[in-house]
Amino acid sequence: MKYALYWGCLIPARELSYEVSVTKVMPAFGVELLKMEDTNCCAPFGIQSLDYTSWLALAARNLCIGEEMGVDIMTLCNDCYESLLMVNTTLKAHPEVRNQVNEILAEVGKEYKGKIDVKNMIDVLYDDVGVTKVKDAVTNPFTGLKVATQPGCHLTKPKRIHFGVRKFDALDELVMATGAETVNYERREMCCGGPLRGVNDELARDVARIKLVNMKNAGAECIVTVCPFCFLELDLGQLEIRRHFKEEYDLPVLHFAELLRMAMGMKLDDWEIKSHRTPLEPILKDQLKEE
Amino acid sequence: MHEVANTPRGRGILACIQCGRCSGSCPVARLVSEHNPRRLMEIIILGERNEVLNSQLPWYCLSCFTCLDRCPQGGDVAEVMFAIRNLAVREKNMPDGFAAQGKNLVETGRVVIPTGSIVRKREQIGLSKEHSTATEDVQKILKKTGFSELISSR
Repeated sequence: MKYALYWGCLIPARELSYEVSVTKVMPAFGVELLKMEDTNCCAPFGIQSLDYTSWLALAARNLCIGEEMGVDIMTLCNDCYESLLMVNTTLKAHPEVRNQVNEILAEVGKEYKGKIDVKNMIDVLYDDVGVTKVKDAVTNPFTGLKVATQPGCHLTKPKRIHFGVRKFDALDELVMATGAETVNYERREMCCGGPLRGVNDELARDVARIKLVNMKNAGAECIVTVCPFCFLELDLGQLEIRRHFKEEYDLPVLHFAELLRMAMGMKLDDWEIKSHRTPLEPILKDQLKEE
Repeated sequence: MHEVANTPRGRGILACIQCGRCSGSCPVARLVSEHNPRRLMEIIILGERNEVLNSQLPWYCLSCFTCLDRCPQGGDVAEVMFAIRNLAVREKNMPDGFAAQGKNLVETGRVVIPTGSIVRKREQIGLSKEHSTATEDVQKILKKTGFSELISSR
């Protein structure tokens, strides 16, 4: 299995523990991750809000790089995933839009042909590797750990391009493969609030708080996500909520790649543990004990 | 209404029957009563151009696509929100956070750029300094689409 790995902007700039975990975990399942050179911003939500055509052209330029490499693209960030997947779907379905985009791409010597697909790491683990193989690779199970999953909006919605319900369950099944339990909390499909950052920070915080309350009420001990925006909103957001509401949720947030890495017996380094704002130690007791 | 409907993501406005399921589905509308997607659709249908394009409410949309999945008419409310925001920025209605993303994109080809400390940390832990970016290509594309001008004229 070979994929062109699209890192995006946020992970390499802010969430290095996620980046390291992906490079450790995926090759263990025979997934070869090929480096994409000279990519550009995927044109996420914020850029799409400013200009439609720029969105199509920027996303398409990244798709062209995957096409030149002759392999499908694997994304890690929900926003990168949504942007590249939507543009790929649109350009494949509408030749007239494709021609318009190719006129722009001619400026930079690229041509979109519609030859590849876009996947998320969760698709690759669930569909290509399979839950059984993931389970077999687990040596240090998180037995009994109660996890609230946060797949994030753009992994699952809109349903017409994502088959949303299945993918919600995919993350839960993968988390259970690590030995953990998942809790069924209210409004699990709800947004983390992240996209409101920079427009109305208080409102973003209030949306995140609803999620945290519901997760805590369902008995969660930690949160597992795949999206770097959800990660920031729910991890960093807890500090802001503590300051403002004087409420403590103490729900450590992990990327799924980090959880799986530890379950496979590969510990997080000290700097990685400390890069989480909400302390991880309470849920790592067993993992840390084996030192 | 037709100005919105004639943009690539705005067609869904034509299907709106004002049932309000979008408002009932919206996580933001539950917290702030001013943000009401149904009401926003209504003033578009009524042709209140200035009110729509000067409003801050389209920027309150999380683009979580819940309304789009639930609209009984296939009215793609979240897509219409993109259409309105695209029109609004041409009327200089662009929140600072979005303008900053646009500026970063034009200058570097990315919206989030690693700081010096992150670059040093990356090297220290054996990662590549940064992932290569085709900044010049992005600048050519954004010049061609008029995006650069949109940002600089703000």
